Amino acid sequence: MKRRSFLKATPVASAVAALVPWARRASAAEEAERYAAAKDEGQVTWYTAHFDTQTAESIGNAFATKYPGIRANVVRTTALVAFQRLSQDLKTGIAECDVFSSTDLGHYVRLKPMGVFLRYATPNAAELLPQFKDIDPDGAYFVTSAGLICITYNKDKVKETEAPKNWPDLLDPKWKNQISVGHPGFSGYVGTWVVEMRNLYGWDYFEKLQANEPQIGRSINDTVTMLNSGERSVAAGPEATTLESAARGNPLGVIYPSDGALLMVSPSAVMKNSRRLNAAMLFMNFLMSRDASEILVRNFSPAVVPGVGPAPGAKPLAEVKTIRPTAEEITAGIPEVIKRWRDTFGA
Amino acid sequence: MTDLLPLRAPARADAALLPLLRRYEPAMLLWLALIAVLLFLVVTPLFILVRQSFEVPEGAGYTLANYVAAFADRLHLRALGNSLLLGTGVALLAAIFAVPMAWAVARTDMPGKNLTRLLVLGAFVTPPYLGAIGWILLAGPNAGWLNKLWMAATGAKAGIVNIFTFPGLIFAIAAYSYPYIFVFTAAALELVSSEMEDAAHILGAGGWRTTLKVTLPLVWPAILGGLIITFLEAIALFGTPAIIGLPAHINVVTTQLWQFFEFPVQAEVAAAYAMPLLAVTALLFWVQRKNLGRKGYVSLTGKGGERRLIQLGAWRWALLGYTLVVGGISVLLPFAVLLQAAFSRAWGRGMSLANLTLRNFDYVLFVHNTAAQSIVHSFVYAAATASLAILLALAIAYIVSRRLVPMARALAFLCVAPFVIPGIVLAIGFYSAYAAPPIALYGTAALIILAFTTRFLPIAYTSCEAAMRSLNPEMEDAARMVGGGRFTALSRIVVPLLRKSIVAAWILVFIPATRELSAAIFLTAPNTQVMSVVLFDLSSEGNFEYLAALGGVLLFATVILVAVSLKLVGRDFMLRRS
Repeated sequence: MKRRSFLKATPVASAVAALVPWARRASAAEEAERYAAAKDEGQVTWYTAHFDTQTAESIGNAFATKYPGIRANVVRTTALVAFQRLSQDLKTGIAECDVFSSTDLGHYVRLKPMGVFLRYATPNAAELLPQFKDIDPDGAYFVTSAGLICITYNKDKVKETEAPKNWPDLLDPKWKNQISVGHPGFSGYVGTWVVEMRNLYGWDYFEKLQANEPQIGRSINDTVTMLNSGERSVAAGPEATTLESAARGNPLGVIYPSDGALLMVSPSAVMKNSRRLNAAMLFMNFLMSRDASEILVRNFSPAVVPGVGPAPGAKPLAEVKTIRPTAEEITAGIPEVIKRWRDTFGA
Repeated sequence: MTDLLPLRAPARADAALLPLLRRYEPAMLLWLALIAVLLFLVVTPLFILVRQSFEVPEGAGYTLANYVAAFADRLHLRALGNSLLLGTGVALLAAIFAVPMAWAVARTDMPGKNLTRLLVLGAFVTPPYLGAIGWILLAGPNAGWLNKLWMAATGAKAGIVNIFTFPGLIFAIAAYSYPYIFVFTAAALELVSSEMEDAAHILGAGGWRTTLKVTLPLVWPAILGGLIITFLEAIALFGTPAIIGLPAHINVVTTQLWQFFEFPVQAEVAAAYAMPLLAVTALLFWVQRKNLGRKGYVSLTGKGGERRLIQLGAWRWALLGYTLVVGGISVLLPFAVLLQAAFSRAWGRGMSLANLTLRNFDYVLFVHNTAAQSIVHSFVYAAATASLAILLALAIAYIVSRRLVPMARALAFLCVAPFVIPGIVLAIGFYSAYAAPPIALYGTAALIILAFTTRFLPIAYTSCEAAMRSLNPEMEDAARMVGGGRFTALSRIVVPLLRKSIVAAWILVFIPATRELSAAIFLTAPNTQVMSVVLFDLSSEGNFEYLAALGGVLLFATVILVAVSLKLVGRDFMLRRS
């Protein structure tokens, strides 16, 4: 049996985080110790729905490069599959997953009371951008990924000056048959957007949207395909995927709505039953590092720590007016809006 | 016999055992072994599903509340109705596509038969999801190529076709499921000897009348089998309804089921909601048995029989035209638009020299971590699946058709039950039963292959059963009368006679296994990734150029595979009898 130094989870109080230089030194020492212990474990398995496959793989590779001797097994799927797998693992007592990253806040709200997450404040959690800090007051999960939902459009069909400037602009009858949206029943991103639109403008917003006969895709990224094909000309779409497609030369543009782009935050958590706790904690810390955020930005997503970015073609996050429902509003609101969505749109 | 006995004197027991073994009826033993396999593959996941449908979420005890939640909702019921309507529509349209083509290829002198078979094969290997994307680009109401062409040609303000409608959805699915009916029907038609048609001619029936009254009714079991498979596949399909149905505001069972697994997760309600599909399957196979039960469809007898091609004259060109139209809408047109995207830097820019690139192919083949490997995986897993499923199905079909054991029908039902269990539900059952120790198949290819075997056992069984039905038992009886045991009859008579049907059945499982999506999504691990999941991910990530390039690679790989197989297996691989 190899030496297994199980480091006790050390919650870093936010007061301590204020003493940055001290905290840095402490975190460097902790990191070195953690790395030494993690090397014995040799690998870490990451169930992730964050990012696209390539970004997730890049992060796994960068982790392995930074910490030689520890391999990152990246199991990248959709949030639904990641959650089902984890649930089945927990039921049958498999401890395969070390770090869990879903895009669905509801998954964390459901899993946390079951006591499956390790309460562990990684040193880098104190370095997150202010709007991403302390998403869970108990420190069971932390924001490691973010995204914006903006108004996106096809530049060949719509001039920038004529494009919608805010969310209610989409209700203008001139966009009849021209709008593309995702489905809240299939996408946590869309669900959160619908909750927020309901908060701001009431359900009436969607009754009026229905009059414009939007095309309803499944995932929020389906809007990118619909705009590119020319089938639709404006959308409530994802900033990152739209910019990525535009960077290839596709005729797409992003408008940051004056009433606020929807900010989506997606957390990650270390599994309590992990057989590779040190590697898991090290990986968790890495997700909130500068290195990881630089990879995010290269792949058109916003960084989660200060001083990195913005992504090519993106507006710096600090300059964007963002809106976001609370965690309670999201978890309680999504089931409600799915029902109402089906009643309004018929599917 | 005796002079073959060994030189050295054997123990007396051996001497007694040898002849005994030869005449031994191994059916009971085999039956037990098959029961064990089916318990493993079908009953356990099914049991988990049924049990789950009564479980209290996150609690102990059992309840009917899941059924109330699943069926008290008007929209859930409408989705169920939509699925049944969809399945019926797809089965009928697929038959309209496939039966004339099958007849033309098997019984007439229509030219271009190899091209026809290649087109059918092309439609068959295309993941329906990919085809559906192609059809969105062709028949989207605002920007579809066909609509733009129409508007340019006529000056009309609006297009004429809209894929985002219920008929559009039926069409987009039928275009990729008609090969089932084609293969079943063509295989059966090639067995029908011309004698029976000659008899009809002698009695004064004309060519068309003979075809409609004699030839096609003789292959009715094959057509019915194909109709049932296409019906079931259509209601179990997730990808196409998700990308064509939802935008058209049409919800079906599979898209509804998927939503049960999104937040808030209601896995128990999903299990309850899947139950009517099982009932529908049972009903369909009961209808099939009633419908075919008392009539004889034996066409493969020990006697010879001449099979002549029908001379069609000018009609053969009309038939070829029809074939090309069907092949065009399922393969040529969608791949034309997909390839445009595959070779584009930015497909939203349309076609121009500056926009041309090979970068997307470079990316999916050499940069993407799993894409290229996933194609190899898909083919290897599908081959293993097909071999396993056919072995199992043949054994069971034989036992059932020769009524060797009691309760054979129960075995048959178990073989066909898994098809409509929605892929994700089946996969979750499989994962919870076999990923954990003691079986511990987590992350292995075996887990995927076994799940695929379960999923496609119904196709394997249906085609093996149809093959058995066509085989007159008198030939085995003859073998046994001259002293052969059951194994001798099987290995020397049944298998050789059915060789071609077996190859066809193998292909019928192999191909859908290469394109299976919904079960695969749940079971693949990074080192066991398959193509359909990569395609789905690329699409969900909005990486359309890469998606199209991977589709192109798939098509190319298939052409290579067909070419190699033609060399190795001969023309059987093209679903053709020599």
